[in-house]
Amino acid sequence: MSAARNPMRDRNPLRDRVAFAGAATTGFVPRNSGRSMLSLTAQASIDVLRQCGLTAADVDGVCGSLVPAPTMQSALGIPEVSWFANPAMPFGNQVAAAVSAVHSGLCDVVLAYHTAYRLPWNTMSSLKDPFRRSSGTAGVSPAPESLFGSVGYTAWASRYIHEFGVPKEHFGYVAINDRANAAANPAAAMRTPITMDDYLGARMIRWPLSLLDMDVPVDGADAFVITTAERAADLPLPAVLVDAVALGATAHNEEEQTDSLRHHGQHVTVNALRARSSFWLDDVDVFFPYDGFTIITLNWFENAGWCKPGEAGSFLEQHRDPATGKILIDGRIPVNPHGGALSEGGTQGSGHVREAVHQLQGLAGERQVPDAKRALLTLGGFFFNAQGLTLRRAD
Amino acid sequence: MTETATAAAGQVSDEELLARFPGQPVDHDSAAHYRGRLAHRLLINRCGDCGTWHQPPRPVCPACWSSNVVATEVAGTGTVHLAIFLHQGPPAPGVDYATPHPVVTVDLDEQPGLRFTSTVVDADRERVRVGDRVALEWIDRGGAPLPVFRVVEAAGSAGGESA
Ligand SMILES: [Zn+2]
Repeated sequence: MSAARNPMRDRNPLRDRVAFAGAATTGFVPRNSGRSMLSLTAQASIDVLRQCGLTAADVDGVCGSLVPAPTMQSALGIPEVSWFANPAMPFGNQVAAAVSAVHSGLCDVVLAYHTAYRLPWNTMSSLKDPFRRSSGTAGVSPAPESLFGSVGYTAWASRYIHEFGVPKEHFGYVAINDRANAAANPAAAMRTPITMDDYLGARMIRWPLSLLDMDVPVDGADAFVITTAERAADLPLPAVLVDAVALGATAHNEEEQTDSLRHHGQHVTVNALRARSSFWLDDVDVFFPYDGFTIITLNWFENAGWCKPGEAGSFLEQHRDPATGKILIDGRIPVNPHGGALSEGGTQGSGHVREAVHQLQGLAGERQVPDAKRALLTLGGFFFNAQGLTLRRAD
Repeated sequence: MTETATAAAGQVSDEELLARFPGQPVDHDSAAHYRGRLAHRLLINRCGDCGTWHQPPRPVCPACWSSNVVATEVAGTGTVHLAIFLHQGPPAPGVDYATPHPVVTVDLDEQPGLRFTSTVVDADRERVRVGDRVALEWIDRGGAPLPVFRVVEAAGSAGGESA
């Protein structure tokens, strides 16, 4: 079927009406933390509420990923909520739901969270922890001839290499930039810089992608306070305004049936986000392309419009410092300054949102991008999970 | 076409079907496909009204919303669209990841973009590429028939379809 044009797509009544008042993290570790998912989530949530000067009684909305919202309400003793939800991951969905709920008046102050947790099917060591076997969704073991989940990205990487004839080094630029940046991020699980030789020599997991092309299973949590722009302005930390939000998917959103590298969820997301946002690439100070797999990042560079299809690797080659491996677009715009999911671990984008909030608040420590005013976030992958977000500092 | 599905469907009960394919996504919408496997027939849903094929099996036709969808046999010939090799993965009978396990998604000849994913027999990494022409075969996987592919014409050779 032909793509329908929505004439109302540039309608964006929520612009500048909703804000992030704060963000906090437990940090991420690439091993079993010996803690429950709820324990990690509660720690990050309590941290962000305290930083924002809020108590449990100030929260009237709860929105999270794996830990059920009613469980979080009970664990933190939130007296009453008038809205709560557990949308599907990645984290752009939690942001979209919370921002919509605040803007529409279903609630005023949302506690939003995501917890990265090493589930049994992630690693052999996770499998040995009996408490983990009972957590999350049922342990369905897909037949090896399935493209579901991680395998789908590897499969489309094979197509990308076939169509564009690019060398593996193009994927490596993404991984090397992330680790170079993560060296300055104490929350990251993997902080040792890597060289191209390290990257090319990494253990093959699913050809054509290797260990260093995919994010790390970790334990850790991020939490956020999302509220009205007015309320955020009265709280202690600088407010970060939500400029625009978009989720995108096409009819063929199964991994194996997706139309092509030129038409998938990222294209819908970018079209919708560009129509709704008040700024685009020329005015971006820091860029957060999702990087659960290196192929996703290359595609986001192309689909956001930094370069043409198949040219992301060449673009990165031109905009990177060969000495440090760090990417700086036009000598100005850092990419995933926290090290992305390849360094923090599989955060489903919550790490990217947290770092964007901290950068725009001026709270990013030694990673601070000078005078960062506007951030572009392109979260998630190709299929049912492409998401975009533009955020700006309140002036 | 309808006879194919009906004949295969008559062979085993729903309970028996589930028992033959443990852990597989067998439900109301995919049962006809799995019954087809038992008869060594690769059945893909096709709309009885507009003729459009779709995959994975859905209860209505995504093109015209007709409920008249029929699990219909395909030739099983096509062109490799995606090709990977698993160096590790979930345990499966007869799969030894010491030899990287090929997984391909094939564009079936019946309709552009209609795809089916499986493995390739008798193929090492040098012999499976995007653009290869393949044909259907059947192997045993844990006591149940599994549709798989065999490369019949390498990508780029004379007559090969470009992707
Ligand atoms: Zn139809």
